[in-house]
Amino acid sequence: MGELAAFIILAIVTLLPAVVVVTSRNLVRAAMSLIPSFLGVTGLFVLLQAEFVAGIQILIYAGAIAVLILFVIMLTQGGTGTALRQVNEQQLVGGLVAGALTIALLGLLLRTPWPLVAGTLPRSNVAAVGGAFLTNFILAFEISSLVLLVSLVGALVIARREQ
Amino acid sequence: MTAYLPIFIHLLLAVLLTAALLGAHALLGGRRPTVAKDEPYESGVWPIGSARERIPIRYYLIAMLFILFDIEAVFLYPWAVAFRDLGVVGLVEMLVFLGVLFVGFVYAWQRRALEWE
Amino acid sequence: MPPASDLALLVPELWLAALGLVLLGVDLFVGEQNKRTVGWVAVGGLLLALVPTWGLAGAVHRPGTTVFFGSYAVDGFAVFFKFLAIIATTLVILASMDYFRASGDRQGSTQRFEGEFYTLLVFTGLGLVLMAASADLILVALSIEFVSLTSYVLAAYLKGNPKSNEAGLKYFLFGAAASAVMFYGFSLLYGLTGSTSLYVIAEKVATVPAPALTVSLALMLAGFGFKISMVPFHQWTPDVYEGAPTPVAAFLSVGSKAAGFAVLLRVVAVAIAPSGLDYVTLIAGLSAVSMFVGNLLALPQRNIKRMLAYSSISHAGFILIGVAAFGGAFGNTGLLIYLFAYMFFTLGAFFIAALIEARLGSDDIPDYAGLSQRAPGLAFLMALFMLSLTGIPPTAGFFAKFYIFAAAIERSPALLWLVAVGVVNSVISLYYYVNVIRTMYLLPPQDPARIQEPAVLRTALWVTGAATLLLGLYPQPLITFARAAALLLP
Repeated sequence: MGELAAFIILAIVTLLPAVVVVTSRNLVRAAMSLIPSFLGVTGLFVLLQAEFVAGIQILIYAGAIAVLILFVIMLTQGGTGTALRQVNEQQLVGGLVAGALTIALLGLLLRTPWPLVAGTLPRSNVAAVGGAFLTNFILAFEISSLVLLVSLVGALVIARREQ
Repeated sequence: MTAYLPIFIHLLLAVLLTAALLGAHALLGGRRPTVAKDEPYESGVWPIGSARERIPIRYYLIAMLFILFDIEAVFLYPWAVAFRDLGVVGLVEMLVFLGVLFVGFVYAWQRRALEWE
Repeated sequence: MPPASDLALLVPELWLAALGLVLLGVDLFVGEQNKRTVGWVAVGGLLLALVPTWGLAGAVHRPGTTVFFGSYAVDGFAVFFKFLAIIATTLVILASMDYFRASGDRQGSTQRFEGEFYTLLVFTGLGLVLMAASADLILVALSIEFVSLTSYVLAAYLKGNPKSNEAGLKYFLFGAAASAVMFYGFSLLYGLTGSTSLYVIAEKVATVPAPALTVSLALMLAGFGFKISMVPFHQWTPDVYEGAPTPVAAFLSVGSKAAGFAVLLRVVAVAIAPSGLDYVTLIAGLSAVSMFVGNLLALPQRNIKRMLAYSSISHAGFILIGVAAFGGAFGNTGLLIYLFAYMFFTLGAFFIAALIEARLGSDDIPDYAGLSQRAPGLAFLMALFMLSLTGIPPTAGFFAKFYIFAAAIERSPALLWLVAVGVVNSVISLYYYVNVIRTMYLLPPQDPARIQEPAVLRTALWVTGAATLLLGLYPQPLITFARAAALLLP
């Protein structure tokens, strides 16, 4: 019962700002609204007892990504302070497609008998994640360092001025 | 789950306190706006131009570099927690990971992405 | 801990990763005027990477053999795509070196960050290799993102050109949305089966309710369809090909597409097929629509790169016939043969477009008028590539189409209609491909000056041209090679 109440509160905290993100005419307000939405997702991760992912969610998303988005808005001419329409003339079609997809996915989520695995959680899920990085998912772990490297080179190529 | 109860109470108190203070302000404080009061505060000097200027793209590059190395630090954390169980092999694997990113660091340094010009 | 012997099977990937890191270092020490050195080191390293790959091809691995706890496949299928990715990357780097120099001569400037361009291409090549061999949803997702990130940057490389910026931005927005939808599909599949490993999913997928699996497949198809530019996820293709540097457009149309098909095929054939879900009808429908949309929209194009983009969409439809026909013994090779042959003549056509663009500063087909007098060699090669794209003997294109149609007929009589659609579309495509040949040979040149052909680009062109002819005349080695690579399931 308490868990359900917590879930409903967190879902509202996640979804309400998300609506502001996609409808607000003020880009800065839209970007700032991402932060409470990210925090709501953090709460959902905590509810799932994924503390490590929750920590990352705050550190990377609510912290770094939101700041980066604000930077990018401030880079643009007229990005701040002007009223922008977030929808175009396709909004009816887009709304219909999104609505149909929502109904399909909701139906799917409710009707599918999801396999539930009974088991015990590791005592410290940070250590479990660390162990998984370096055993089963070692290849993915090492490749992610290469992905970070090419992102760095790519960011430099795009943003750096001619020498 | 009950371990989170104190945090939840803390959050609740924070929200209630903020609401109470803002509510008290709205109820008790007077509101007499004048033109001078609506000016942005510029340490007593008349403001010149719009405050909403474009910032240089250097900020983007710095922010991007910050995020990349931030993510690297996130990868380090679970490894550090599990370090004793993973042993030497884990150390080697982490050194490979860090080595690749070190190449990126040297590259960014040599391309003078860390300087403010 | 993974056994050390796993690492021995990873030598080509390790070599490519090391090559990319070395190139970053080499680039720092090379002067602004000598950036081609980086390109030459890259070409040398890529050619050397073929040696360990050849060694892997020699060691026979049972289909479905995986290393690193079932996350990475080392079967003949993966080796086949390693060859494809390495060869395509090498040819594109060769073409880029002269493309940048010739464009620079015309505009009186040098290309910014030319060294990084070759480095990013090598890393993209590595990403393609990883995509084709991933046997775990997490690794599939990571390698697709790897390739996408580098491709966004490469598409936007000509910073002074607004169209290139537009190409990068459009590619990024489409790619990000497609990836998000695809990852949702992955998460559904994981939730339904409790595993991210494709081969473990294969064992459990039979008990999954069909509606949930269908939705998951449809969502995943959005991401794969984006990579292979399948209708209805094709809208980015013409704008990106037009704006991106031409060698990059060539790379996207060959490399990303081939690796996208490899991932699609591995996920569908390994993880989805055992469920008994009828995915063949869905794929066949998408294939027919892609062929028609691509071909009909290619007809009115004036810009050669846009024409090739729509042609690329229609070819995605042709290759999807091979996906639908996958399963029978003969069907497997059809798709692989098509992708391998398609690589050469498509790269060739794009390289000629790159050369003409660099020399004349134009992408318009009418500017190809009289090319047979201005550059007879180029005109001959372009004619060869156009005939091959149509599928006329004795070119590689004919032989590729023959095998893919044969695969569909072999698989099931229910696919006969798809073969008929394919034949009709080949006839439609004849119109706009032959139009290029007509322009080159029958229309008078506006400016009779000869067109200089840079040496390196010419080498790359003749390699693609020779392969197009040779594969058409003597396809037996490729058939043998593809047959060994075609078995996916244990």
